Amino acid sequence: MDLFVYTLKRIGTALLTLLLVAAITFFLMNAIPGSPFMTDKSTPEQIALANAKYGLDKPLVVQFVNYIKNLLHGDMGTSLKMQQDTAVAKILFGQGKFRRSIQLGVFALLTSIIVGIPLGCLCAYYRGKWIDSILRVVTTVGIAMPTFVIATLMLFTFGVNLKILPVQSGTLDSPISYVMPVITMALYPSCHIAKLTRTSMLDSISQDYIRTARAKGLKTKMILFKHALRNSLIPVITYLGPLTASIITGSLVVEQIYSIPGIGSYFVSSILNRDYPIIMGTTILLAALIVFMNLVVDIAYKIVDPRINLTKKGD
Amino acid sequence: MKRGLATILALGLAVTTVGGATTAFAEESDEFVITSVIASEPETLDPNLESSVDGATYSMHMFENLMKYELSDENATEDNDSVKLLEVTYGQAESYEVSDDGLTYTFTLRDDIYWSDGVAVTAADFEYSWKRIVDPSNAADYGYILDGVVLNASAIQAGEAEPDTLGIEAVDDTTLVITLEAECPYFLGLCAFAALMPIREDIIEEYGTEWTDPGNMVSNGAYVLSAWEHDSYIEMVQNEYYYDNASVGPDRLVWQLQDSESAILAAYQADEIDFSSTVSTEQLESLVASGDCYLPDEIGTYYLYLNCDNIPDWRVRAAITLVIDRDNIVENVTQGGQTPATGLVAAGTTTSDGTEWTEYVGDAMFSALAEMYPDYDLTTYSGRCELAVALLDEAVADGYDTSTTIDYEYNTSEAHQAIAEAVQADVADVLGLSITLNNSEWQTYTNNLGEGNFGMARLGWIADYDDASTYIELFTNGNSYNYSNWVNDEYTDLVTEFKALSGGSERDELMKEAEYMLFGEGGFAVCPIYFYTDPYLLHDGIDNIGYTPLGYFIMTYATQAE
Repeated sequence: MDLFVYTLKRIGTALLTLLLVAAITFFLMNAIPGSPFMTDKSTPEQIALANAKYGLDKPLVVQFVNYIKNLLHGDMGTSLKMQQDTAVAKILFGQGKFRRSIQLGVFALLTSIIVGIPLGCLCAYYRGKWIDSILRVVTTVGIAMPTFVIATLMLFTFGVNLKILPVQSGTLDSPISYVMPVITMALYPSCHIAKLTRTSMLDSISQDYIRTARAKGLKTKMILFKHALRNSLIPVITYLGPLTASIITGSLVVEQIYSIPGIGSYFVSSILNRDYPIIMGTTILLAALIVFMNLVVDIAYKIVDPRINLTKKGD
Repeated sequence: MKRGLATILALGLAVTTVGGATTAFAEESDEFVITSVIASEPETLDPNLESSVDGATYSMHMFENLMKYELSDENATEDNDSVKLLEVTYGQAESYEVSDDGLTYTFTLRDDIYWSDGVAVTAADFEYSWKRIVDPSNAADYGYILDGVVLNASAIQAGEAEPDTLGIEAVDDTTLVITLEAECPYFLGLCAFAALMPIREDIIEEYGTEWTDPGNMVSNGAYVLSAWEHDSYIEMVQNEYYYDNASVGPDRLVWQLQDSESAILAAYQADEIDFSSTVSTEQLESLVASGDCYLPDEIGTYYLYLNCDNIPDWRVRAAITLVIDRDNIVENVTQGGQTPATGLVAAGTTTSDGTEWTEYVGDAMFSALAEMYPDYDLTTYSGRCELAVALLDEAVADGYDTSTTIDYEYNTSEAHQAIAEAVQADVADVLGLSITLNNSEWQTYTNNLGEGNFGMARLGWIADYDDASTYIELFTNGNSYNYSNWVNDEYTDLVTEFKALSGGSERDELMKEAEYMLFGEGGFAVCPIYFYTDPYLLHDGIDNIGYTPLGYFIMTYATQAE
């Protein structure tokens, strides 16, 4: 029951957070100079005409209230510049941008978990042995390498020189187009998760309940993977919340390098183009995603560790 | 553990399967397809509403105006015969007549022209399009293109007349009468202009803003839109109803939509694209050397505004203009085959009799100074520096404070920064003046320009049509592009005077006089740096790509090399 109450409260807070995000974004983006209608050859008269056509000549507060009203009716507005007069919802959802970013993010996330946790377990299991040493070096390198370096290296090695993988992943129509972007996105989190899992497992091993298990004569493998692993996953789950959000919202570099029309690169372009409705739509969407993922993680805590009390402080 | 092992094996199998499909992205067929990159996602494919070279290029493949561009025999560059220059010829019109006063053009349309849905193209389709673009409620970026050319266009744009009063009338299905406000020497060029392509009123009324979606859009040119994956690619296939399909080359055109220079270069090197007009500036030199990149001239000028409010003494502005080593900039900084500027009007522009403008006017930038200061040899850089120092001394004697720091604004870009640094070094070395470099992204930058928050600022101007007036008009009193805030009544009167003329040598002479005035006593509100080139990457195996120095590459007539 406490989980239900807690979830309801969190949803209420989430909606308030989203409203705040919308307000801050709206007024900040209008504070920066420039106009969506400014081109190489546009005149002040043309800009004034366009402002009037799209209601940008009204006071900011009026514009914001109108925006929120429309949003509550499911209308995210239309693009002012990047795809002039096309509905923002159509751009984000109908053209597959959100879907592609989510797909890439989910595959990268799954890859990170599938690769990272076993690697961390291996390191802990073989602590101090050569496998542990090698994997620690590999994971440290993986964490230290910037994403754009990995992406570029892979692109030129497998795409340009060996020509075995496509340089342009495009609309992700074929399985092969996922390979390089997913590996690039998953490398850092895989290594980070491996390190987290290793540290956490080693920490768990020194706990009393593990000593008890050993005293009871259980095999090391059983102790590690059945008893220690479950508790070791709590820090990993803590990391997965922000990771999910950052993987999906932070796919900008990967999307640009592999020419994938996703939401990450579009978000940045919308700011540079001052396409206000797209900035608002993308920000609210991504903020909702982050808020949602944080909620999921908190609920996952409860499931993994029933000792955690979600509704009362100090227990 | 067994389940875990099974999962890993399954993943391994999946990766192997994916690996086995490596040839999937390199399909082979007899179909002639050209895959190109010219820019990222266009704002629109609506010809009336587009404002960029890439948008115009897509329109020129799918639509055809009264006049059109066709291949000439002349190569765009000396070192590559795969790309030919384009010239204006009849398009949907088969003939035209001009009235004695030069103000009324009567076009007769061909009788075999159809839209891609099989409906006949009529003169009313042109009338609808031209009235739509000047209608201020549509806020078209090119709404001004007919100002001062077609009757009432300026008044309609200003909201003082109804769009219906525009001087264009479809007399019947094949006769279109256009009435001009004043004679216009580049009018036939406008009749091939992308933003003025005919469009179908019934289609726009039926689909609204979605009329440019694949399946909705109908076009009257060589190609028809078959797919548009936003931010990924645009695909066009041949229009079966096009009257001149025998001349059309590629079966299909694919335009990848992106602007990342490194990603484009990688795709080119991986043979995933055949052609790109976006070229990595860092790699330009090596790409030219390897024979992958060519540098045709483009009608465009890269110049600096010298703000008359912040640098009020014209002699200081002239001194800055004199000390910039343009040869050094094009040879060692930009390295893109550009030509050092000799005036504001770009090379490639022609006079009324077809003479190259820069040959006609000579050294427009320094001729007036050479007359005023005959003791200095302005044909050499050292001579120009000597005069610059003398002019600065004169200004200092009259109170100019050399400790004043000049703000140089540019929009964020490594290329602009490199040029700014070269200018900064020249001005500091020769004149001892201090320049501070400030960069900001485009929107903020143009806002700063409009508010006059600069001493010097860069801009490039690519011509919309081949006529010197497109440059000279920029600096009339109150012009929205006169960011230097230069005020010269005599100059503005001169522009008004030549605009009333139909062309010919008298008009050329007045435009020449105006350009000289820009760089005479009291002038130097603008400091031209170089004339543009338009680099492109092209794989071997494709011939007969068309190019116009206005910046358009046309694939319609391309052929596969034998």
